[in-house]
Amino acid sequence: MNFTAKELRALALPLLACLLLLGAGAALIAWTRQEQRAAGSELAAAREQRAQARERLMRIAEEEKEVKEKLEVYLRLRALGILGDEQRLEWADAMTRIRTQRELPDLRYRVERQRLISSVASKPANVDFFASTMKVELALLHEGDLLNFLADLRESGNAYYSIKHCSIARTGLAPAVAGLAPRLRADCEIDLITIIDRAAKT
Amino acid sequence: MKHLIYFTTGDHSVYSWSGGRLELQARFPGDDSGVTGFREYLAGRRGALFYALADLAGEDFHEEQIPYLRGGDREQVVQRRLAQRYRDTRLAAALTLGTVSGERRNERLLLTSFTNTQQLAPWLDALTEAGAKLAGVYSVPLLAPSLAARLGVKGGRAFLVSANRAGLRQCFVEEGRLRFARLERTVDMVPDAFAAFVRTETGRLAQYLATLRVLPREGPPVQAIVIAPPGQRAAFERALVSDARLSFVTLDAAEAARKVGVKSAPANTGAEQLYLHLTVKSPPREQFARREDRRSYYLWQLQRGLVAAGALGFAACALYAGANWLDVSGMHGETRQLRAQTEVTTQEYQRITSAFPVTQTTTDNLRATVIEFGNIARRTASPRGALLYVSRVLNDFPQIELDALQWRLERADERAAAKPPAGAAPAVAAGEVAQVLELSGRVGAMRRSDYRAITAEVQRFASALRADPAYRVVRTQLPFDVTSEGTLSGDIGTAAETGEAPRFTIVLARNVQ
Repeated sequence: MNFTAKELRALALPLLACLLLLGAGAALIAWTRQEQRAAGSELAAAREQRAQARERLMRIAEEEKEVKEKLEVYLRLRALGILGDEQRLEWADAMTRIRTQRELPDLRYRVERQRLISSVASKPANVDFFASTMKVELALLHEGDLLNFLADLRESGNAYYSIKHCSIARTGLAPAVAGLAPRLRADCEIDLITIIDRAAKT
Repeated sequence: MKHLIYFTTGDHSVYSWSGGRLELQARFPGDDSGVTGFREYLAGRRGALFYALADLAGEDFHEEQIPYLRGGDREQVVQRRLAQRYRDTRLAAALTLGTVSGERRNERLLLTSFTNTQQLAPWLDALTEAGAKLAGVYSVPLLAPSLAARLGVKGGRAFLVSANRAGLRQCFVEEGRLRFARLERTVDMVPDAFAAFVRTETGRLAQYLATLRVLPREGPPVQAIVIAPPGQRAAFERALVSDARLSFVTLDAAEAARKVGVKSAPANTGAEQLYLHLTVKSPPREQFARREDRRSYYLWQLQRGLVAAGALGFAACALYAGANWLDVSGMHGETRQLRAQTEVTTQEYQRITSAFPVTQTTTDNLRATVIEFGNIARRTASPRGALLYVSRVLNDFPQIELDALQWRLERADERAAAKPPAGAAPAVAAGEVAQVLELSGRVGAMRRSDYRAITAEVQRFASALRADPAYRVVRTQLPFDVTSEGTLSGDIGTAAETGEAPRFTIVLARNVQ
């Protein structure tokens, strides 16, 4: 059956309606498929969350023990001033105090700017670990002065002292000539580590 | 709403049909004035759907056989046979009567047309000109098999006799197919006389068909279904007595209308209401109109077909989407349930953890802080242990004088950046942290030229440093390079020894943790 132009025009609207209906149907399917995928992802996530919540509940006895143990360390860190903002004035005081107490002939130090060394993602906020590198130059009467200095520094608190490098060298002065003059010289590089817990109550 | 035009010899009636209800719209005389009136009637009905039903005398039936063919070949042969049989084939049809098997397989055809097609042509032309859609032109005999089936004829041979507006219509049906029909004019008669007339005419038709050998002379009586006009069934049953040739079954017009499905029809309408209803409700495939006369109907069907296909496609998509949505809905429900369970579990967890020791942070942060601090602390060390260890070893080597000590923490990645000198073992294994102690010194109280003694002393010192297995000597640089790769030099014969004592270097390492 051959169609005339008039007949073809008469068929145009029904054909358009047919195509529109089929297009609408296809769009409907595409939309529901998309919804299906999204719902599938949500369901998988919900399953995972429930599994995690249940597992956490099952491990609660272990967790209580763990919390008690870790709380001791946490409180100790807070008491030592490692947990919290940097206390640079306290550090300066400590250096002065150690020099005086240990009668060190010469003590020079320089603390660099703070830098982030680690950030642990946690809930509800991250825990950030910072370090400020301190470079120390010491004049020593004997090797024990360095060890005493490092021990005193550690005891002074207000940071965790991570020693990166220390070198000891003779000054070159003969003992007879020098008397009580320093015979050794030490250079150290120490990271002063502090922790900021963003979720901690102040 | 659909329209029907019912052609009789005297006049032509237009009915509307909707949901099994027939209504008389107009009636026109069969002459030119009728055609004019019909044109005026159609003026306001452009695009209306019409079915034409002819109930005319002079309808020819002729049986022929053609070779068994299909498709276009069959159509060509049929058209040729119709052209051979009828002068005007505008209104002609070929009804199949099945096949016969002989030497070759043939198809039996019943060719049918009207002896005077010109009485219908102006009316069909008027429909075309008015833009009406012609579904088809049917005759009452074409609908007889359908009516017979609805009135209970299951097969075999049967006469179907009805009193129509056009006259007494008699159709002979064999195995559900039309074989012959005739229309006998009637005049107003009393019921008894009309019943006797029906009896006589049915007998005559049977006799005629027997003469033509369409009906066998011997055999069981042939069923004759007679539709009596309203209120005349009793008179018909009295007159229509069955005999050896005919077995009469009389039906009241109202009962027949109920069986066919007619819900209502105008008063004083004869049995043609049954045929009119069947024309719309179940039109036979074969009809008289040419393809050209039905073109607007085909176009309309195609339009409806396109929309219906679209609607059907949409419905199928909607059904599939609905199934998807049910799935989505189920998943949402399950997700909600899981979240509620998670919430309950979390609340239970929080209830229990609220009894834990009071902390100044959350449990997660407490854990994160202590674990990460532990990791950092494990990677640090103090030089104290290493220095004390060297000091203890030195007690046994009074000749060794240290000039410099260098202690450092070294990681494998840092070490990779600064490669060890050739011949030196790596101080740190991959992924480990080690404290490295580099000792530089001299061997005193020995003659500088006594290089064997000096070398032996340094090697003894290095061996002593290995006493603790935790420490390992990574590199030893002797005062004299005695390796084949190095350069050996000396100053033999000089009277006095000058310069400093030869220096050595030993690098010790110990893993942290």
